[in-house]
Amino acid sequence: MSVITLERASLRYGHILGLSPTTFEIKEGGGITGLLGPNGAGKSTLIQMISGLLRPSSGQVLLFDEPPFRNPNVLARIGLVPEGDRFPVGFRADRWLRMMGGLSGLKGIALSASVDSALEIVGMTTRSHLTFSAMSKGMRQRIRLAQALLHSPDLLILDEPFNGLDSEARTALMYMLRNLAKENVRVLVSSHILGEVALLTDQILLFFRGRLLAEGSVIEIRELMDRHPVELRLEADDSKAVAQWAVDYPDLVAIKMETNGAVLSVKNPRDFFQKLQSAVASGQLSIKSLDPLDMNLEAVFQYLTEDHG
Amino acid sequence: MRNIPSFVETICILFRGYLPRVFKARGWVLAFIIMVPFVIVHIFVILGVVPNPARLALELYHNGYASVVIPVIALVSASACISEDIEQRTLPLMLVRPAPAWALPIGKGLLWFSWCSTWLLIVVTLMQLVGMEVTTIPRKIIALVFTLWAQLGLVSLLGLIFKRGILWAGIVLFLWDPLVTLLPGTMQRLTFSHYLQSLAGGQYSINNMNSLLAQAQISTPFWLAATVLIAVGALAWALCGIKVMNMQIGLSGRESEG
Repeated sequence: MSVITLERASLRYGHILGLSPTTFEIKEGGGITGLLGPNGAGKSTLIQMISGLLRPSSGQVLLFDEPPFRNPNVLARIGLVPEGDRFPVGFRADRWLRMMGGLSGLKGIALSASVDSALEIVGMTTRSHLTFSAMSKGMRQRIRLAQALLHSPDLLILDEPFNGLDSEARTALMYMLRNLAKENVRVLVSSHILGEVALLTDQILLFFRGRLLAEGSVIEIRELMDRHPVELRLEADDSKAVAQWAVDYPDLVAIKMETNGAVLSVKNPRDFFQKLQSAVASGQLSIKSLDPLDMNLEAVFQYLTEDHG
Repeated sequence: MRNIPSFVETICILFRGYLPRVFKARGWVLAFIIMVPFVIVHIFVILGVVPNPARLALELYHNGYASVVIPVIALVSASACISEDIEQRTLPLMLVRPAPAWALPIGKGLLWFSWCSTWLLIVVTLMQLVGMEVTTIPRKIIALVFTLWAQLGLVSLLGLIFKRGILWAGIVLFLWDPLVTLLPGTMQRLTFSHYLQSLAGGQYSINNMNSLLAQAQISTPFWLAATVLIAVGALAWALCGIKVMNMQIGLSGRESEG
């Protein structure tokens, strides 16, 4: 049985194509799958279709072999942690969680136990009596996660869960998600930061401009990134020395001289960084600063799209 | 096998869950709107400046509560019902739960309906202090409560269907409904005021004075009028449920950006 099956599922917002026909399958069993892509790549659209909020314009979305839209059998098995900071005004977190648990089919002792357990998992037991307006962003994010865990879902979907969290909270959340994955929960996490997803999982679905670009492991994605020439600005007193050192590097694609250094376009940047580090450490090269100009995911995706084209 | 809440269970969960909300500002504003006209009239009666308290009580009921207070509290309450969850973008958090989505509008609506009905019951009961005939009080309570039920359902429905639905509802309640005094016979049956007055006992037929009607006032039998208001409200809530059941609402609002 598959947890998620998409068969040429697409979604349109009027004339705008939110998600091109997409096909993939995630098998049952615990584990973490990363949805990776820059903003506007279609990750949230996909999540909204999977969580049964939006119907696909064409094709088919199946969760546990059933369409999820307003389907209680499916919705009883999924937990959604949406992006954004939305909570009903004036509610106390514990009361709101009780209501959400009730709407998930929990009652009586089981409901109280689930609320307590979810609050404990997210580390909010002692602060759950606060209203949402009295909570910090990080605390509200924890409550968002707690509401998704109340009914012990088989599939946990998180949309950009690391946004706005400090490094401590990020680490705690990652630890939490890994534990859930070990307990046979399938976790689907969206992010626009490869580093975040790479720390969590090896399975990635790569989205760009509303289409699924690649599906594979972090290593494969990293290799794709390594093939992409990256522009780096090296600031140094002696521009000539930088140029002389750089021309010996086999993956140098282009060099542009500047008054206080040079802009290098290199492939395989990780290898380049190691060589640069050695050169600087051995005194072979002296630089003031290193500034990556386009080493962001957007640039990589641009490159991948051209590559695929 | 996981437990899925029934329609009734969902309503109870929402009622319990949102109950503390009625004790916040909006709930007390509604109570204030309901109580203030009576309190003012009562003060006048105590001061002895009202020559005919019984007539004033009727005026208060029909021109105050039936014509103004009920539509106002229907509009204010409706904006605290399911429309609030759409505005605050919290509806998707409920729609990803296995509870029946079509129970959500009435679940929230019933809470505010109950709160306002309680205050209406109190205020109409207290109207005997300003000269309201005691024997007429039960049907006057029924008239207001049933009208509120229907109006709240209609306002919620319009709020779900149209972007500025509450405004459209305001137009219906404050511009169309008062036309009952001008509308010919059967057209009067298309207004809430007609059924309210049929239930409460028509304002001017009771007083038999100061008739402002441009058209002869028609009447609908008590039980039929009650049934119509209950049915209109039930239909409106059912349509709200169907609307929510089929609503494509993303995490960013009605039209998700993706």
